[in-house]
Amino acid sequence: MTATTATPAAPARPARPAAGGGTLTGTGTLVRFALRRDRVKLPAWLLVLTVLVFYYAAALPEVLGDNVQAFGRFMVGPVGALLGGPGYGSDAVTVEIAIVGVYGLYFLIAAALMNILLVARHTRVEEQTGRSELVRASVVGRHAPLTAALVVAAGANVLLALLIGTAMAVSFPHPGQGFLFGASVGALGLVFAGVAAVTAQVSEYSRAASGIAGAVLGAAYVVRAAGDMLGGEAHGSALSWFSPLAWSQQTRPYVDGRWWPLLLSVAAAAGAAAVGYALSARRDVGAGLVAARRGRAAAAAWLSSPLAYAFRLHRASLLWWAAALVVAGVAYGALTQPIVDAFADAGTSELIAVLGGDVSQLLDGYLGAMVLFDALLVSVFVVLGGHAVRAEESRGRAEPVLATAVSRWAWLGGHLAVLAAGAVGLLLVVGVVMGAASAASVGEAGYVADLVVAHLAYAPAVLVLLGVAALLAGVAPRAVGLAWVAFVYGGFIGFFGPLMGPPQWVFNLSPYEHVARVPLEDLTWPPLLVLTAVAAGLVAAGLAGFRRRDLGTT
Amino acid sequence: MPAVIETHQLVKTFGSTRALDGLDLRVEQGEVHGFLGPNGAGKSTTIRVLLGLLRADSGRATVLGGHPWRDAVSLHRRLAYVPGDVELWPNLTGGEAIDLLARLRGGLDRRRRDELIERFDLDPSKKGRTYSKGNRQKVAIVAALASDAELLLLDEPTAGLDPLMEVVFQGVIRELKAEGRTVLLSSHILAQVEKLADTISIIRRGRIVQSGTLVEMRHLTRTSIEAVTARPVTGLDQLAGLHGVEVSDSRVRFAVDGQHLDAAVRHLSGFGIQSLTSHPPTLEELMLRHYGDELAASGNGERS
Repeated sequence: MTATTATPAAPARPARPAAGGGTLTGTGTLVRFALRRDRVKLPAWLLVLTVLVFYYAAALPEVLGDNVQAFGRFMVGPVGALLGGPGYGSDAVTVEIAIVGVYGLYFLIAAALMNILLVARHTRVEEQTGRSELVRASVVGRHAPLTAALVVAAGANVLLALLIGTAMAVSFPHPGQGFLFGASVGALGLVFAGVAAVTAQVSEYSRAASGIAGAVLGAAYVVRAAGDMLGGEAHGSALSWFSPLAWSQQTRPYVDGRWWPLLLSVAAAAGAAAVGYALSARRDVGAGLVAARRGRAAAAAWLSSPLAYAFRLHRASLLWWAAALVVAGVAYGALTQPIVDAFADAGTSELIAVLGGDVSQLLDGYLGAMVLFDALLVSVFVVLGGHAVRAEESRGRAEPVLATAVSRWAWLGGHLAVLAAGAVGLLLVVGVVMGAASAASVGEAGYVADLVVAHLAYAPAVLVLLGVAALLAGVAPRAVGLAWVAFVYGGFIGFFGPLMGPPQWVFNLSPYEHVARVPLEDLTWPPLLVLTAVAAGLVAAGLAGFRRRDLGTT
Repeated sequence: MPAVIETHQLVKTFGSTRALDGLDLRVEQGEVHGFLGPNGAGKSTTIRVLLGLLRADSGRATVLGGHPWRDAVSLHRRLAYVPGDVELWPNLTGGEAIDLLARLRGGLDRRRRDELIERFDLDPSKKGRTYSKGNRQKVAIVAALASDAELLLLDEPTAGLDPLMEVVFQGVIRELKAEGRTVLLSSHILAQVEKLADTISIIRRGRIVQSGTLVEMRHLTRTSIEAVTARPVTGLDQLAGLHGVEVSDSRVRFAVDGQHLDAAVRHLSGFGIQSLTSHPPTLEELMLRHYGDELAASGNGERS
């Protein structure tokens, strides 16, 4: 039974063009579509981060047991400030304070990466591959794709906040504080969803878009770390507040929790998203704000060997890394004296234990930790390089090259040689720059040579990482991402191993642990030679595997 | 003279898929050899094995007298390749990609490169990521043809080219043929192969199902006949090898197998032929005879 009046329906008139509000048409469908495409990726991110909370809650009490005081000194020391944060609660460390104050930073970084990748995946990657052209040609408003991506990101961040909050709340007393920590992670995620919404408009190339957003994250890290280190025992400084990471960390969960810093995060996220919308309205589908430039019509004369080809492909990435490391090296080097001053009164036995010497060696301990930090950054360059080599093959660009008179050996070997030389070059550059800056800061010229030697001493360890990536790229190309496991293991053991006191073999598995921490320790050659031999063996195995297998085809 | 390409019982499997299933292919010196088959028949896999990019599981392959896997580098100096799906480096220009690929093969004839860029109307100063599919294809074609390679392996080289450019491409291939080079031209575009190829091989499910010159293959197949006669034709049902016979008054239409053509035309002439048209089988008809059963079974000519 219907209540319609009996007049026959008028023939359907052609729909008028939607007037107003039409730019969001289709958002709901696109949201569902995005969730369908991310049905594995997104739950995996959320699940891993939640499980990690439970893992820390279960594992840390054992580790912390006798070391509570050492942990507190670590948190408030310069290395703790670099790697953890402002160190709230360092005078009465509990497991939950340790999770929030030291490992919390990595939850924040993970949330930022999750959002950068998510927004890039549903905006710029779609445009670059031309898929969004299909979507936009149907009944979909101009702003719908970006809105859908941001809706999914916002939903993911809320869910992440609730999951982490619940995990903390069931593991520790004061559930409200647990949810505050969860919210601080979700809020940072929102900020970087906004950042990615902006960078996705700038470049028409998705890797550049996520790269710029990643650079913003890197800058946020550098600023926060510098600010927290300068703050000494004052839990951060004014400089810290210029970084979104600090807004989340300044909520001080389990110490004296406060919600208001998250207002800054939400405001920044909203502002960035608004900028993203404004920029997207000014450009064509598929285009960037920065138009692609024309290039040379013929190749330079030097571009004529497998090695030159590999260098040409990695050149841009090398230059960007060099620029970033120079900035970081100058910043951390120049801060050497102020940071040491900030901690001058903190020379208790625990801090000395962490930094491995007596109080006069505080400076050298700080520098040694910074060198390991730089070595890990250069390792990131190396592993990303491994991914780039893999992409050459999987995208079908290796095929025409290997159909010329370039052998398998020369192709992969050329890439690896460029990456190896690039890694050593980056270590040298950051060593010189940081050495010069800290020598100027402290007023002792000897630090230039010390820091150059200290950085270069890590070259064999970084090359072992390259070897791992080479072995994977050569033998099991789909698994090249496993090289990150070696990286994360090395970084975790390098910085947090001494706090946890695991058996010696756990340290020995990490290549970075075999390198003397110059200037605190004297350079020892035999381990470096062994590491170099291991790296060479891994590379050789990778090359041999690559010569034997089929080329991946598209 | 030994064949430029010769394979014997070549087998290549990917997991449970048998991409090549005992492939016997022979390409002679100086010919343009059409390599025909629908998508997924194994054309690209064959070419990649011949390039040493994939390693055959069993069987034998010889390219220019060498072993495609073991002698890959030395063979690649003497051959050039155009992939079916060209990917370029996003931050290299087309001109840079052409020069790089040609130099890595062992040399570039700059005059010929510039001439080809001109003929194909390619802008070499654009970055790789800004090219359309057709223009990416042109980059790969110019890079391959600007060489002095003895053998060209072209995997659906004109997919994405517009008809004008296809004519240019055909012209260039004819020149190369006149210079005595050997070309393996894979395609599912039949008309293109018909225009260029001396011999063809038809591949289906990883096997060569038919191979020979166009003339030989047409001999094996049916010719379509349409005739108008003075008196109505009778007795056609007595003749062997006729198909699809239609008779209406003085007009008759049928297809006849090659070896029965003579008898059929003799028979017609007894009724006073007033007009006669015959046309040789097109490659479409050749292909349909090989894939017709699949077409009937699946409703389309492709197999995943």
